[in-house]
Amino acid sequence: MSLIDLIVEKIVKIPLESKDKPDVIRELVQILKDAGEIDDFDAVLKVIQEREFKGSTGLQDGIAVPHGKTDAVSTLKLAIGISPDGIDFDSLDGKPSNLLFLLVAPPGMSGPHVEALAEIAKIAQSKAFCKSLISAGNSQEVVELMRD
Amino acid sequence: MGKPINKIMVYIDGTEESVTAAMYAICLASFTGADLIAHYVINTRAMEDLLRASIFLKDEQVEYEHDMAADAERYLNYVKELAVKKGVSIIQEQSKGSVHREVVNAVKENEVDLLVIGELSRIRSRRDEFYDETERAMRTVGCSVLIVKDEDKVWQMYESLV
Repeated sequence: MSLIDLIVEKIVKIPLESKDKPDVIRELVQILKDAGEIDDFDAVLKVIQEREFKGSTGLQDGIAVPHGKTDAVSTLKLAIGISPDGIDFDSLDGKPSNLLFLLVAPPGMSGPHVEALAEIAKIAQSKAFCKSLISAGNSQEVVELMRD
Repeated sequence: MGKPINKIMVYIDGTEESVTAAMYAICLASFTGADLIAHYVINTRAMEDLLRASIFLKDEQVEYEHDMAADAERYLNYVKELAVKKGVSIIQEQSKGSVHREVVNAVKENEVDLLVIGELSRIRSRRDEFYDETERAMRTVGCSVLIVKDEDKVWQMYESLV
């Protein structure tokens, strides 16, 4: 399964409501819960928080990629959140994060997990594409931009 | 004229689609008498990219590389079990690097006639960011490629193989 197969409207939220890092991580995990993608909210939240504790996944230019591995999922799970105003995510360049990709995978799927993260890394390199995603009016538009 | 297929290689990447491809390849090897190789690539290139992009920490990269090596072993052993059950012998191979390059090299070095891969995404974004390593391998290998679809039908075919 490719990253693009995971991108559907129900896993995209725009705009995010949270104003700080702890809350936005919870909000991203809640997207998966509300979409019926996960059962165990706390287990998923815990692995994401533990990974962030080791070092922030807030990259440059407004992108953040919180991720982790847990037995609480049986396949790759992706949530996308967009905050036009930006959220302080302890990013590398100190700038607020606007485009957040949360990826969770089961422990036995490291190959597809790494490849999905690598695809997100490529998206992060395309400033024009990220800008168009951040400017999207709703989740449908985000999905259309990705699948175009 | 010799047999059209003497050596089949199936690419295993830890997805269900690749396991289905392996089942199809086992059937094909049984029907044709071709040699069968199962190849897994530990995608160290992607992990280096993730470290460079600061998505991975150094110790995280090491941890994932260990995980991928364990996954490679597990998936290749599973595919071997599937082959042995049907009386087909299989060679297990794994390599490290960039997926498409490693697959191309393995096909060349083993003089493979047919590469068998799992179903690719049905969504074809024109964006370069969503390129698929397996698709790239499919486009660049020097031999014919077979893309396996319809998991249920393949499962039935495998199960009915004596």
